[in-house]
Amino acid sequence: MLSYEYVKCTGLSEAVDILAKEEQAYPYAGGTDLMVGMRGGKFAPKKLVDIKTLPELNVFEENDQGIIIGAAITLNQIACHDSIIKNIPILAEGSHSVGGYTIRNRATLAGNICNASPAADTAAPLYTLDALINIVGPDGNRSLPVEEFFTGPGQTALKNGELVQSIFIPRPFPAGKGVYIKASRTGSVDLATVGVAVQNWGEHVKIAVGAVAATPVRAFSVEKAINEKGEKSSAEAAKLVNNDIAPITDIRGSREYRYHMVEVLVRRGLEQTMGV
Amino acid sequence: MRDKKIIKFTVNGNSEEREAVVGETLLKFIRDELNLTGTKSGCEIGECGACTVLLDGKPVNSCLVLAVELDGKDLLTIEGLSKNGELDRLQQAFIDHAAFQCGYCTPGMIMAARSLLERNANPNDDEINEALSGNLCRCGAYQEIRDAVKDSAKK
Ligand SMILES: Cc1cc2nc3c(=O)[nH]c(=O)nc-3n(C[C@H](O)[C@H](O)[C@H](O)COP(=O)(O)OP(=O)(O)OC[C@H]3O[C@@H](n4cnc5c(N)ncnc54)[C@H](O)[C@@H]3O)c2cc1C
Ligand code: FES
Ligand code: FES
Repeated sequence: MLSYEYVKCTGLSEAVDILAKEEQAYPYAGGTDLMVGMRGGKFAPKKLVDIKTLPELNVFEENDQGIIIGAAITLNQIACHDSIIKNIPILAEGSHSVGGYTIRNRATLAGNICNASPAADTAAPLYTLDALINIVGPDGNRSLPVEEFFTGPGQTALKNGELVQSIFIPRPFPAGKGVYIKASRTGSVDLATVGVAVQNWGEHVKIAVGAVAATPVRAFSVEKAINEKGEKSSAEAAKLVNNDIAPITDIRGSREYRYHMVEVLVRRGLEQTMGV
Repeated sequence: MRDKKIIKFTVNGNSEEREAVVGETLLKFIRDELNLTGTKSGCEIGECGACTVLLDGKPVNSCLVLAVELDGKDLLTIEGLSKNGELDRLQQAFIDHAAFQCGYCTPGMIMAARSLLERNANPNDDEINEALSGNLCRCGAYQEIRDAVKDSAKK
């Protein structure tokens, strides 16, 4: 058993204060990555700062600008949210594909992106939705596009003392269909071997892929072929995804398998959303 | 030195006040401090669901929750289901359908299924699969488990 302190903060500023001043203090949300990581020796915190009950992070609202998802909102809450299912189903699918039902009762969207696994299932959908990450820290607030938030495996743009306050999905919501397709070793409770998000925006398509590079990445080559050069064949367009990725071999799959699967899934994604 | 905290909570309907070691999981606390050994330890990394309990009515993997988080909350474990020595109807349905072989996954399955039946009185196969997606049965009694859940919903 590890030895560390646990604090349940009552206000956001208190949490920021502790995180800024104390070394090895970690925000603790659903704990589904932290608890496993602590057991495995990946994290060795001196203090866990429980942020789940902070009112500022429990915001979940829709307005004429978009949808704000506070950092304490769980993946099950997102996967069951009426407006998300209706307007941005790709995010409901990505959220729903994380772990099993009981995991998603604790796991948060913010925790999924802050853990910054290249395979994070919510990341690729967020990349296709122009999501913004709202950050709060000792120097105040700032916002970053989700694509600038991921900086490497397990690494984010967060600076010392900063934490994610919410994730914002701006309007207008996509006019066309969006899908998140995940290949994993088991039907549930496993990280993606490859994850592909394809979002039809009516006039153009956005595609992001996970678990095939150091961070989730946009498939710009495929997007360009379709959006700018008018490529009509999904099979031809999907081949170009190889230019955008740099997969590795690990226990979930080999580099070659990932090259193959990502192309197959991009093609299927295009067929399902674009009809090309 | 291990940090300790006094926590107040209800477990299976009874109010309790105990000392919990910071860093200890809720699973360990339930088994070793509350001596409620119906909740099982399988993987202790969130993958098997043997440790499923209801925390404020929601099914969670108790191996991924800290014991100190129980403070102010309501906990239901498998021991809280029977009343005056009588099994509740979901437990009885598991027996009637022989929805287990070794029985190790059963307490977790029943807790996850109970929470489903509270949300949805008449679930179909897909809804049962979804609710039990985090619960593994290494004996492969899934069909009987689904039957038991459906049967108990009818009663
Ligand atoms: C059995 C199992 C299956 C899983 N399956 C999947 C899967 O299929 N796909 C997938 O993508 N993931 C999976 N995961 C990983 C995990 O559940 C998700 O990444 C989850 O969303 C993490 O959220 P959390 O709230 O539990 O994070 P926590 O564990 O609380 O935190 C994760 C990290 O983020 C930091 N953090 C948390 N919140 C904030 C914040 N607001 N600001 C700054 N930093 C913060 C923490 O300090 C920690 O470093 C699985 C985990 C388990 C145990
Ligand atoms: S023991 Fe908790 S999920 Fe396996
Ligand atoms: S009955 Fe043996 S694990 Fe399910």
